[in-house]
Amino acid sequence: MENNTLLSVKDLRTWFELKRWGFLSAGFVKAVDGVSFDLKKGEAVTLVGESGSGKTTLLRTVLGLVRPTGGEMLFAGRRISGDKGQSQQDLAWLRWQIGFVQQDPYGALAPFMSVKRILVEPLLVNKVKKNEREQRIREAMEEVRLLPVDDFLQKYPHMLSGGQQQRLVVARALLLHPLLIAADEPVSMLDASVRVEILQLISRIQESHDLGVLYVTHDLSSVRYFSQRAFVMYAAKLVEKADVKEIVQNPLHPYTQTLLNAIPDPDPENVSRFRDVPPGEPPSLINPPIGCRFHPRCSRMIEGLCDAEEPPEFEPSSGHFTECWLYK
Amino acid sequence: MKRSPRRSSQTVADGLRRSRAASTGSVLRVEDLYLHFRASNGTVQAVDGVSFELGRGESLAVLGESGCGKTSLAKAILRLLPRNIHRFTGRVFLNGTDVMEFGEEKFRQQVRWRQISLVSQAAMNSLNPVVKVGHQVAEPLLNHHMSKEKAFERAREVFGVVGIPEAFMNRYAFELSGGMRQRAIIAMALTTNPDLVILDEPTSALDVLTQASIMNALKKIKHDLGQSFMLITHDIATSSELADEVLCMYAGQLVEHSKATRFYRDPLHPYAQKLMASVPTLRIEKKPEFIPGQPPSLLNPPSGCRFAARCHRRFERCQEEPPLFTHEDGEVKCWLYEKGSRDGE
Repeated sequence: MENNTLLSVKDLRTWFELKRWGFLSAGFVKAVDGVSFDLKKGEAVTLVGESGSGKTTLLRTVLGLVRPTGGEMLFAGRRISGDKGQSQQDLAWLRWQIGFVQQDPYGALAPFMSVKRILVEPLLVNKVKKNEREQRIREAMEEVRLLPVDDFLQKYPHMLSGGQQQRLVVARALLLHPLLIAADEPVSMLDASVRVEILQLISRIQESHDLGVLYVTHDLSSVRYFSQRAFVMYAAKLVEKADVKEIVQNPLHPYTQTLLNAIPDPDPENVSRFRDVPPGEPPSLINPPIGCRFHPRCSRMIEGLCDAEEPPEFEPSSGHFTECWLYK
Repeated sequence: MKRSPRRSSQTVADGLRRSRAASTGSVLRVEDLYLHFRASNGTVQAVDGVSFELGRGESLAVLGESGCGKTSLAKAILRLLPRNIHRFTGRVFLNGTDVMEFGEEKFRQQVRWRQISLVSQAAMNSLNPVVKVGHQVAEPLLNHHMSKEKAFERAREVFGVVGIPEAFMNRYAFELSGGMRQRAIIAMALTTNPDLVILDEPTSALDVLTQASIMNALKKIKHDLGQSFMLITHDIATSSELADEVLCMYAGQLVEHSKATRFYRDPLHPYAQKLMASVPTLRIEKKPEFIPGQPPSLLNPPSGCRFAARCHRRFERCQEEPPLFTHEDGEVKCWLYEKGSRDGE
């Protein structure tokens, strides 16, 4: 079982210090605070959360772009961070293994570089041999269907449509033959009709190469068909982890329930329906509420428990985890 | 300030409102609107012969992919135009008056923000950081020569309507969350009591929960005040929260204008059908599809039907440009709905 796990994260914490005067600290923004999960080989997982919930920070920590404050991270059995901190060799190796698909394709592609230059860059940085470069570029471009390859190589990003730009970003992520693709809101900047195309593309690559995929998004409905499991993040914690189907059909955590309630489906009946929205706003991550972080907004709050003690992780049904006292 | 009599009765039953809309005519009627831009390599046909009508108290969603001309349509109606105009023709009737005849100054004084206001894209990020929000909301009224007390009184009123606590009047933009800022922008659009509010992607930058509460607020305004909205968006699922009617655009042209009940369940035009099939749903098991190919360039759009190259139901007739055919639930620009041939059903 152990060797089937691609990425394993235990009690990961990423805190950002606000300000420091000598020994005096003004406090921390606890962007990721005690997150644990496993991602299996060849599995696609969606991380859902609102902005400010820490989902991007979690992704950046996994990518090795931010140094975690504590906790443990193993990638393909290799310890990336733990008690002894992170070593440069481990990080360099990790960055080979994870392909990153950015949110805004136009912002992620240098406007003054041709497609060829954009794709050769990661190969140069990672010292791939010269005779191998051309072949890898062709492979990646064929994979994402930027065809015919020769027509595209000399183009610049502004000459490509939004969908093509995003496919180029995916191609770049594939160049180093990674084991995991991390995609930060990969389709939020694209039109509805193109979104599905990109998601299908990533999903096809995932299946043919047996890659792990970690989607980070606030839009569960678009990725639900392309991932197997979903994690729901609220105020720096994963409040619910389960199969996507389970999350959609049988959400347990009150936050997940309200979140799903708020997502509209195209339906003319919506006009005459008001949606239940919990009062208030997500808490500050500097001084999160004591106990369950959702309790000030929760309609099923248990007095004396939810506002006093932080809920541990419960497993009400097999494979369905939630941090909520209702399921103790 | 002109106050229309419809404000006197607060909640009006749907049916009543509809019949009244028929009797008092439409808020907005657009006839054959063209907006072409001059570019270095030709003319961009951003809006190409669009006609539609919007009844009082109704909301119209304008849907389409980016670059299909939906924002240009709003800008054309409000005459917020850049300099490189090649062609700007057609007729825009507001409450029965053709405002295209108005000169620039008359249009500014009588129409813009008086009868039509706009919540533009990403407006929440363009609040003035050094002016208190309350003042910014009152500003359109001050610009239209209202006394300061009255203007602030009205601003307080609309703050209540959109659901911002009154105390926030004295705050600055950075002290407000994204959702509150968006509400302030909507309040700004409502202060002058306009007949029509154009919302250009009002929720696309917001979180799911915030989006839901903004849509709730808009629904409430629509129901309680009978406000007419024109909602421009590419987010089809969210548009269904407010729309009574849907106008679907493709490559600068109107391809379908139908009732929401028709459009969201069983759209007429093949493009609209494909577009709806690409929308992911949460509650219904349906694997979304994508539309192969790309929309044509607006510089040199193809002759004939502009969607023909990507259409799964194309036939010989599509080489000619289809007119707008009338259907029981609306209008559709597709040869499949030509009188006599009912294959489209």
